[in-house]
Amino acid sequence: MSSTTVNNVPITKARWERAVPVYGVSLVSPFFLLLVAMALLALLLTAYRELVGLGPVSGMNDLFGWGIWKTFNVVVLTAWGSGAFSVGIAAWVFRRKRLQALMRMALLTSFLAYACGLFLLGIDVGRPWNFYWVLFPWNWNLHSPMAEVAICMSVYAMVPLALENIPPVLERLWHFDERLQPGVERFEKGLHKFFPWIIALAYLLPGMHQSSLGALMLLAGNRVHPLWQTPLLPLLYLGAAAFMSFGCVAGGTMVCCLVWKRAMDMEVLEEAARITAWLISGWLVVRVLDILFRGVLYTAFQSNRCAAVFWIETFLITYGGWMLCRSLRDHKLRTMYLGFTLSSLGGMVYRFSPTTLAYIPGPKALYFPSTIELLVALGFVAMGIAGFLLAVKLFAILPAPNQEWRDMAQYFKLRKPYIRWTKYFNFGFFGDKLPTDSD
Amino acid sequence: MSKHPTIEEHLEASGVSRRSFIQLCSMLMVTAPAGLALTNKKSVFEIAAAIGKTKRPSVIWLHFQDCTGCTETLLRTSAPDVAHLILDVISLDYHETLMAASGAQAEAALRSAMAANAGKYVLVVEGAIPIKDDGVYMEMNSKPAVQVLREVAAQAAAVIAIGSCASWGGVPSADPNPTGAVGVDSVITGKPVINLPGCPPNPYNLVGVVLEYVTMGKLPQLDEINRPKFAYERVIHENCPRRAHFDAGRFAAAFGDEGHRKGWCLYKMGCKGPVTHAACSTRHFNEVPNCWPIGIGTPCQGCTEKNVLWRMGTFETVPIHLATPPDTYPPIYSAIGGATVGAAALVGAVAGALGGVTWVHSQRFASSQEIGMERIEADRAELEKIKAAEKNLDKKED
Amino acid sequence: MAITRRELITNIAKAGVPAAVAMTTVGTETLHAETEHIPVPNAALGLLYDASLCIGCKACEAACNEANNTPADTRGDGLHQAPSDLNDVTRNIIKLYKPEDNSLSSFVKRQCMHCFDPACAAGCPFQALHKDRQDGIVLWDGDKCIGCRYCTITCPYSVPRFQWKGLDPVVTKCELCSHRLVKGLKPGCTSVCPVGAVIFGPRTVLLLEAKRRIKKNPGRYYQDRVYGETDNGGTQCLYLSRVPFEKLGLPELGSESVPARTLRWQKRIYQYFALPALLYVGLVQVIRKNLAGHEQEAHKREKESGLRAQL
Repeated sequence: MSSTTVNNVPITKARWERAVPVYGVSLVSPFFLLLVAMALLALLLTAYRELVGLGPVSGMNDLFGWGIWKTFNVVVLTAWGSGAFSVGIAAWVFRRKRLQALMRMALLTSFLAYACGLFLLGIDVGRPWNFYWVLFPWNWNLHSPMAEVAICMSVYAMVPLALENIPPVLERLWHFDERLQPGVERFEKGLHKFFPWIIALAYLLPGMHQSSLGALMLLAGNRVHPLWQTPLLPLLYLGAAAFMSFGCVAGGTMVCCLVWKRAMDMEVLEEAARITAWLISGWLVVRVLDILFRGVLYTAFQSNRCAAVFWIETFLITYGGWMLCRSLRDHKLRTMYLGFTLSSLGGMVYRFSPTTLAYIPGPKALYFPSTIELLVALGFVAMGIAGFLLAVKLFAILPAPNQEWRDMAQYFKLRKPYIRWTKYFNFGFFGDKLPTDSD
Repeated sequence: MSKHPTIEEHLEASGVSRRSFIQLCSMLMVTAPAGLALTNKKSVFEIAAAIGKTKRPSVIWLHFQDCTGCTETLLRTSAPDVAHLILDVISLDYHETLMAASGAQAEAALRSAMAANAGKYVLVVEGAIPIKDDGVYMEMNSKPAVQVLREVAAQAAAVIAIGSCASWGGVPSADPNPTGAVGVDSVITGKPVINLPGCPPNPYNLVGVVLEYVTMGKLPQLDEINRPKFAYERVIHENCPRRAHFDAGRFAAAFGDEGHRKGWCLYKMGCKGPVTHAACSTRHFNEVPNCWPIGIGTPCQGCTEKNVLWRMGTFETVPIHLATPPDTYPPIYSAIGGATVGAAALVGAVAGALGGVTWVHSQRFASSQEIGMERIEADRAELEKIKAAEKNLDKKED
Repeated sequence: MAITRRELITNIAKAGVPAAVAMTTVGTETLHAETEHIPVPNAALGLLYDASLCIGCKACEAACNEANNTPADTRGDGLHQAPSDLNDVTRNIIKLYKPEDNSLSSFVKRQCMHCFDPACAAGCPFQALHKDRQDGIVLWDGDKCIGCRYCTITCPYSVPRFQWKGLDPVVTKCELCSHRLVKGLKPGCTSVCPVGAVIFGPRTVLLLEAKRRIKKNPGRYYQDRVYGETDNGGTQCLYLSRVPFEKLGLPELGSESVPARTLRWQKRIYQYFALPALLYVGLVQVIRKNLAGHEQEAHKREKESGLRAQL
């Protein structure tokens, strides 16, 4: 453990200097097995869905054509996991250098969120074999937000996001085997040459599709409750994605450090909290002004489900933002954590509402996900979390001080001496600088 | 007969009133409002004129494995006395039930009728024909029925199979069909055979077909199994007087129950109306209104249909192949969707779990920060002590 | 140190000026034209349904199934064709509006409205739902549909219905029996209507007929108005009714079509892809500079700590 921690308690003036894998914890834990079991169940149910169609496995009906697979796993969770976009822009475009410590965490969570979301999107569409039309741009309906979302998200997840997530893997390979190092270094050089174009794409595309996810509900017109339906819907969706994903990345890092007893860098976390608080304030201003200018505030005081949802989401976001502001003053971790969590939850409710909770296609139409639908959605989330647990232990993702790296190298050297038989099997261990290397 | 008088001439000679003849023609118009060129005229007088000009056709009527019900149905008409009219309109040259002769004289009558009208007579067949074991199960004058039929049909202008037995086998063909009973069109394959199934069929089906043929010179429009469309195009269900009850979902469940006494639909009691092509629902029997099975409260047995009569159970329900709307209407907005208990419970469980985890983590953040603060304080206190001790030492040294 | 305003603006301007010039040369007229103008098919066909003549016999429901070779929906009681709403086998349906206060009730025939600017086609990602240029019928192409069901969300009349069971789900909606029209036949529903409540013809003719009826019977029809003349930007299926259209489930949408009203700014922002391209170029400039600085610092830290840089 880092020498700057006091008796396993991670509250110190630590600085996050590099990413260090979680070591000393077994890859497989009961919780991990539970997640894997849920994921397997989801895959089984997916196979069942492919055999019988969407009707028997979901609660979707003729008036509620979209269920939680689209409206939650795609619309909400990819926004919550769009950290690569928001943290990235803050770190790389607006040069908040301290936030770069969170970049790998952001990239990993984004990749997992998008992978699971897109997988579910593939399961949710009824005629997936026609998706090949995405390769023929002259057939795209450029005015359709749905086309924009489908194409943009797929391209984003498969190209920039995947490429940005390769460096931790390359790093592991570099440390793993001496013979791979030249190849890895060549690949890295090549990658770095194109990085500006890849990273710029990684900010442009999510900006487009996270807002288009909001534009999707624009076409629903009067079927979305007036408290949510506004021409500013794409902008508000983008803003919600921004502050939600900060909550995911920063809050998630906090929880990881708590659970695996890592040092927390309060400067970085407070920077993140500050930015999130600003984003939330700006977002709230736009939202409130929009409601006032459209003159629909009175609907928030009617006694129905939509008004209740509005107040819940507004409370969560406002109170979360308020807690973040307070945590900057009183430096309490609990407050900061709750601030991130509540504002993320509020953002989730906001993004979920126009698609389901505040979507009224008919006076007697209802939707509630079926058990199978829920199990599949949960299973894919579990898959994402299990993937996260694995990645965080296998690759250097979580930030830590430099000493942590050295401790890790020491740990591996003592506990897992990799086999060195002959010159051919000269596998190193993570963190070890091989004697042949020069500085 | 060497002289072939027209129908009008014959009627006049027989003393049949013109009024009765017009009544027959108007019955024909009712029988076949559509589908017969004969009745597709503006008034009954035009029909009478058309029929009047026609020469009386010669009809030979053969009986095979029958119950004579089809003949009886023709005779059970009385108002007007159509039996006589029919006998005046057509020249029934051979009919085992109606003719006075029997034995060798009957046989001679058949031969002479065939010879005199060769190629022009209409052959009406009643009853099924046994073909098993070379047709030994029925012989006429020591000849197998199959052979008789072939001989007589060879010189017929048209062959009409009246009744289900002649159309497809009928009663004798019910399982296990020991005699190999078949319909006429299984025996006579070279000539068009018009089938008039029914057990018995409505007599006006026959009258319409015969008159259409002899007056207009052509057969009426037939469906794919050679039944005249004007009588067999629709199923009973389409024109049933109890249809409103079906559409409203009012069904009789057993003979004598409340629904049955109120005249409700007999579908659930095994009415074969939905799959039976016949016109009984609009043309009743014996010229008595409502004299037909459903009319008297018995489910239709599908007596015209080969796959229904003697094949399905009396009270076995048939599937509805052409479902039609009921008499209820959906509202402008219908209820759709909703939660199941299991799903709601699952959502609750997940929400609870997440809430619990958040709460636990927030408590751990708080407590670890407290402990951290305490330790930091303790450390600082120690550090102060050490510093103070050092200062003392320095002072002492000084 | 955050990016300065000056830097941001400079970078955007560097890349943006040529793009802005390009946009202005093309002209804002095109911008307006594309977003505001709805093309009207030159041979638009449609239906005129007069709810005041309808007797609710539902012959059109049975005929529609027969014309389209779809099985009747007997999922309710197994005996009768009794769908409660449009669905995967029901392309048109007769519903009854029966107010509780026993005032005037009315039947209504609901099927695809074949709007001039259909929201379903506006949202369909690969143009599986598209409007025929000649007769304006909105058709569904199974070879392009991915089954995303966005059309079920966008249609203000809730017309397209997805088939929830089976391995080859289709999207079902009235297509004005276009397969019968090519054979010179009329749509199934209009062929069997015993009272002529629903009639088929060119939309211009039907509109004139509707107006003639209104003129001939002043005060009979709700607001002396034809629904669909301008509603939702104009629809090819027109309605006359004695009771308010909203009571029959026909929403009051105004005279602007749903896509025109809601996607205006989306269309403008993504016009010619200029703004996104502009933004991309700006971002590349900014990131390139920042990345260079970051790499320098990383190498410095690598030397200091002795640990390989993580980029």
